[in-house]
Amino acid sequence: MRFEFFIAARYLRAKRRQAVVGVITGISVIGVAAGVASLIIALAITNGMRRDLQERLVGSTSHVDLMRVAGDGIRDWRPLLARLRGVPHVVAAAPGLYGQVLISKGARSGGGLVKGVIPADEKTVGDLLQSVVQGSAAALEPVAVAAAPCGSGTSARNDCGGGVSREIPPIVIGQDMAESLGAKVGDGVLVTSPQGELTPLGLVPKYERFQVAGIFKSGFYQYDSSYAFLRLADAQRLFSEPDLISVISFKVDDLYHADRVGRAIEDAAGKGFQTTNWMEQNRELFRALKLEQVVTFIVLALIVCVAALNILIALTMMVMEKTRDIAVLMSFGVSGTQVRRIFLMQGLLISVIGTVLGLILGYGLSWLGGHYRFIRLDAAVYSIDYLPFAPRVWDAVIVAAVSLGVSLIATIYPSGSAAKVLPAEALRYE
Amino acid sequence: MSDPLDGDVRFENEGTLEPLPVVRERTVVMRAVGLTKIYAAVASRGGSASKGSTNQGSARPALELFRGLDLKVHAGEMIAIVGESGAGKSSLLHLLAALDTPTAGEVWCGEARLSLFTPKQAAEFRNRDVGYVWQFHYLLPEFSALENAAMPLLARGMRRAEALEKAQFWLTEVGLGDRAEHRSGELSGGEQQRVSLARALVTEPRLLLADEPTGDLDGKTAEAVFSLIQRLHEAHGLTSVLVTHNLEFAERCDRVLKLREGRLVDGRAGDGRV
Repeated sequence: MRFEFFIAARYLRAKRRQAVVGVITGISVIGVAAGVASLIIALAITNGMRRDLQERLVGSTSHVDLMRVAGDGIRDWRPLLARLRGVPHVVAAAPGLYGQVLISKGARSGGGLVKGVIPADEKTVGDLLQSVVQGSAAALEPVAVAAAPCGSGTSARNDCGGGVSREIPPIVIGQDMAESLGAKVGDGVLVTSPQGELTPLGLVPKYERFQVAGIFKSGFYQYDSSYAFLRLADAQRLFSEPDLISVISFKVDDLYHADRVGRAIEDAAGKGFQTTNWMEQNRELFRALKLEQVVTFIVLALIVCVAALNILIALTMMVMEKTRDIAVLMSFGVSGTQVRRIFLMQGLLISVIGTVLGLILGYGLSWLGGHYRFIRLDAAVYSIDYLPFAPRVWDAVIVAAVSLGVSLIATIYPSGSAAKVLPAEALRYE
Repeated sequence: MSDPLDGDVRFENEGTLEPLPVVRERTVVMRAVGLTKIYAAVASRGGSASKGSTNQGSARPALELFRGLDLKVHAGEMIAIVGESGAGKSSLLHLLAALDTPTAGEVWCGEARLSLFTPKQAAEFRNRDVGYVWQFHYLLPEFSALENAAMPLLARGMRRAEALEKAQFWLTEVGLGDRAEHRSGELSGGEQQRVSLARALVTEPRLLLADEPTGDLDGKTAEAVFSLIQRLHEAHGLTSVLVTHNLEFAERCDRVLKLREGRLVDGRAGDGRV
């Protein structure tokens, strides 16, 4: 192989008899470099966007949710919560009661999902309450009770959710919901639960007036337009479910092992419970992002294919130019296999040089983009004010492999035709 | 007495009382038996050349170069092959070097039958057993004289330093020891051909095949190159087969064979002249 490399490298460096071959070789190197750099930059951007989205999404919500398979809610949840906090890899746990409601202010109304929470616990599993941009989430704290985790096992503290204010209870809503309702901090909204009360007049929806204590903005429309937080006790009263929760949310130490920890939690909770994790809940979103990444990769890989076509043309012309030299090489014992390898290596050398240049360029620009954030975005549209770059080593490996692989395919025909040169024929008419 | 076509040299032990002669034969390095080479007709687009039509365009009729040609090459001898242009001299050398295959017949090199070679074995044979010099130098312009001379050794995987050392020896032998780093474009025609000779001999082959090695050189340079070949042949005990149009050079060889009507005949007249 040393001999083949020696010849290939020298052929690549040498001045061409036909200048056009040298030009096409140069274009091939530039083409491969441009393709590889484009791929690295595009993948760095999609990774950056994905990473940013994931960080904010996972930060906003819990990693694992535990609920009853039958959907009948979790009773006697305090000892269960205490037990599940001891499951390995569980960092935090918080009780919650979900319910579909209609939230209205004057003539405006909209559907929403309210979650009854204990703020001190909720803040350990999700960031939504920490994303309050107007007002405060402090009003959700239970009245006259110090904020401490519920279900910690001390029966003396089992008044979580109890002892709330007898005044208008607070609600924290998302920014988009606030805008659609025209609600501001301090305004009153009417929350109507479909789980009504049975009266002599039939089933009457239960409604209650709440005061907007805070408005949060997570950057996710899904949350900002339909989520609202109540105190747990208020939610239980609204849904007529005293001392019942529908879900226990968990934060785990390694979010990529959420499924495994989820199974451990299920096992610890016992029969009749099931878990979902952040990956399952956002599967469609991440699948779409992955698809976008794959499509981007395929589209930009076409640049590498065009560059590989240049390699094919350059090598074919070089084989034509070097037919006599190939015949001479064969006349002193260079085998067809060695000749094939010479041109194969030449194609690979072009590709390797282009790929290395492309990787340096791509990573350099990605690093600069990530470090200096010189591409600004409209935060109102993208919920981030700069274009994030997150180049990954694994992407470089894949891009380099694709680039070299495509180039290798491009060398098959010219190197094969070089190996088929018949020395006697090639030199007969010289 | 020796047969000019066979080339076997017999020495009779005259002057002794022994009744039977003792015959000693030199080693046969290469043997061609019943060689036939016919280039098939090439048909033009839409027609067959064998029909003999005049509307064949670029068609090429079948060409028979030789039929049933025999040759023995003995160790240490220098054979000149002469003949008219197009007689098939170069094609014969191609067959002897396993650069081409005969239509019929066999070429043997020692015990090896060339027709049984795989492409890889043929390449190894050309690398180890044959040194080939072309009419044109055919040096690779991207490489220095030293690298060109070392190329067959590098091709077989020899260490670079060792290969270059051997190449330097042969460059010195052909009188170009001080031009090792020069590229072919920086050498004269005669020097280029001498590098080509060094490249052919660097592997110390069993057989040197030279196809009109002086054909592209002026008279004085041609004489210098031929004299060099002769000197190296004698100094290193080479076995050489040379194709040449130069009858004066041919006369200086051990044997002269003329390729005529597809066969090799003795090229010397009764007075020993070609």
